[in-house]
Amino acid sequence: MEYKIEKKSAPGREEVEVLGATFEEGKPEGEEMGRWRQKLASREEKLKYLQTGERYWYGKDWYGSEKRKNPA
Amino acid sequence: MAEVEKNKKSVDTASLELIDKACADEVSLAFDRAEQMKPCPIGVVGSCCSNCGMGPCRVPLPKGKEETPEGKKKRRGICGATAETIAARNFARMIAGGAAAHSDHGRAVAELFIAAAKGEAPGYEIRDEQKLLQLALDWGIEIGDRSNQEIAVDLGEKALAEFGRQEGELLFLKRAPLKRQELWRKRGVAPRGIDREIVEIMHRTHAGVDQDYQNLLKQGTRAALADGWGGSMIATELQDILFGTPAPLLGQVNLGVLKEDEVNLIIHGHEPLLSEMIVVAAQDTEMIELAKSKGAKGINLAGMCCTANEILMRHGVPLAGNFLQQELALVTGAVDAMVVDVQCIMESLPDIAQCYHTKIITTSPKAKITGAIHIEFDEHKAMESAKEVVRTAIENFPRRGKNILIPQEQHDLIAGFSHETINYLLGGLFRASYRPLNDNIINGRIRGVAGVVGCNNARSTHNEGHINMVKELIKNDVLVLQTGCSAMASAMAGLMVPEAAAKYAGEGLASVCEAVGIPPVLHMGSCVDNSRILIAATAMVKDGGLGDDISDLPVAGAAPEWMSEKAISIGQYFVASGVFTVFGVTWPTTGSKEVTDYLFKDFEEMYGGMWAFEPDPIKAAQLMIEHIDKKRKALGIDKARERILYDMEMRRDLI
Repeated sequence: MEYKIEKKSAPGREEVEVLGATFEEGKPEGEEMGRWRQKLASREEKLKYLQTGERYWYGKDWYGSEKRKNPA
Repeated sequence: MAEVEKNKKSVDTASLELIDKACADEVSLAFDRAEQMKPCPIGVVGSCCSNCGMGPCRVPLPKGKEETPEGKKKRRGICGATAETIAARNFARMIAGGAAAHSDHGRAVAELFIAAAKGEAPGYEIRDEQKLLQLALDWGIEIGDRSNQEIAVDLGEKALAEFGRQEGELLFLKRAPLKRQELWRKRGVAPRGIDREIVEIMHRTHAGVDQDYQNLLKQGTRAALADGWGGSMIATELQDILFGTPAPLLGQVNLGVLKEDEVNLIIHGHEPLLSEMIVVAAQDTEMIELAKSKGAKGINLAGMCCTANEILMRHGVPLAGNFLQQELALVTGAVDAMVVDVQCIMESLPDIAQCYHTKIITTSPKAKITGAIHIEFDEHKAMESAKEVVRTAIENFPRRGKNILIPQEQHDLIAGFSHETINYLLGGLFRASYRPLNDNIINGRIRGVAGVVGCNNARSTHNEGHINMVKELIKNDVLVLQTGCSAMASAMAGLMVPEAAAKYAGEGLASVCEAVGIPPVLHMGSCVDNSRILIAATAMVKDGGLGDDISDLPVAGAAPEWMSEKAISIGQYFVASGVFTVFGVTWPTTGSKEVTDYLFKDFEEMYGGMWAFEPDPIKAAQLMIEHIDKKRKALGIDKARERILYDMEMRRDLI
């Protein structure tokens, strides 16, 4: 893995070198900007997202304000 | 033209500039016609019945005095219909008109969807697999290892069947909060099918059928629900699958988006079926070269009305303007062609176009206009139709005259806030959620949420109602969701950029907007996309902490400059979904106190939501805020609670 070194000012000292982020910054540019849905590539990922992200309707363990013994 | 009189027409400086030019060019605009022709005082209050050949019968309230019981008895049509029956019939027919418009749009999308899924509509494809899967789950369509095309064919056929469904209830009703579904069933207003409810209104309002205003309004409610949770929702969802679910993007709005040195082609109307292809055709090298050969530097597409919202949200195509700016766009003298499909298109366009050089092109077999060119949209050869439209605009460019005025006015906006995107923005990819919104409503940073939607109306100052209402709401920490021409008005006032939060919003709302990175006013799309607001409200309910029905939420709706029957249908389905809804400009049932009281008061007891009428946008916003506060009180979140860290001794004292 390539590590990025960043220079930052520290209290009581001058600039110090710190280890930078190793994760993807998540700042797409150009056409991809804002198109978050394309991050989900496979059908399995999409179905999983529906169960979690859209759990209000598709989650098996989600009750929220509508927990009830008998469905309407 | 006197300055005061002119300023009454619009608050938008670009529009005022062009109203002056129209006057100099001797062009008659909707603004002028509204001044010359006052509304019929009997029709405007819903007291005129023209449903049979014995009429039209007029049953107005007495002028300037209280009605006596004897006088009321005499206030009947030739068939004996009371003022109540007549007002309710007219109101129900407005709902039928609006629901039919939205739903026929949905049907057209469903038909194209099936053709695309079967590979019979070249150029169209499934762009959002996730939403395809979502709807398959909603409607019990097998997913398994089936291809997207196979799933889409089943889905499209099931969607189309919703229009002709005769019994049971619409499939999308199951998306609503459980308590709301139960209420609709209990009240007998769960729609059986989309077309059936609209047809039944036309039957019931025929001479000598339903003569009980409450029963007429019950059917009106059923048809309106068939619009919001049926036809409109089908349109929105299938469009998302075909063209992509909107995500935030930067756009521009107002007539300043027109370009002096490029071919200007305006796409106006509502259905994005052809316009999606025009966007592609305008980028075609052959078309660009043709434009250059005619002396233009390129092809500039711009949208008008709800088609504009559709292509803005998905492609960033700039918005030239809203309903009352369609004539003004031609007055610039710089529009080479305006292509239209259905809804909200003024018949005056070809006449105005004759004063300049603009070609008006109709494309739908349902909507032809005398004096316009007709290039019929055929989904099986959509690209050919789209290129013919673009070519017509390009070939008209050399005919452009010298009498050109393109106002400089244009503003940035962020559009594309679908329910899915709001959910993602609030919680991220791994835990998308409405929790931050609900939490900030509970802790009082956000007071509530308002949907401000609808049209422009030449009988009120263009854009003034929308802008003043929205500013008043966000100043009072109410997050605003918008669609249609109303959204464009706010965008023109610079309210749809994140910076607007610090400038116009209350401290609480501004802090949340800054943290999330959203504007205080969210653009959610076109008028069929009001269904997105229904889904957002349902997500708020389902997330928990704010009651268990939409009617428990601190939310309100408004259409301060409404004019179309679609707005009445939208308002009715919001009310029947539990939302307090205020309309401005005029109210079409004031000829009957009983009918008006029923809609304004009794509906609250029946549906938890009710109508109100207030032409002053600031007062209307205050009514909405009062209602939001009432709901906050009912939820017990009306007062800030002191936070105390209990030590062990204090805990023991509690016991």
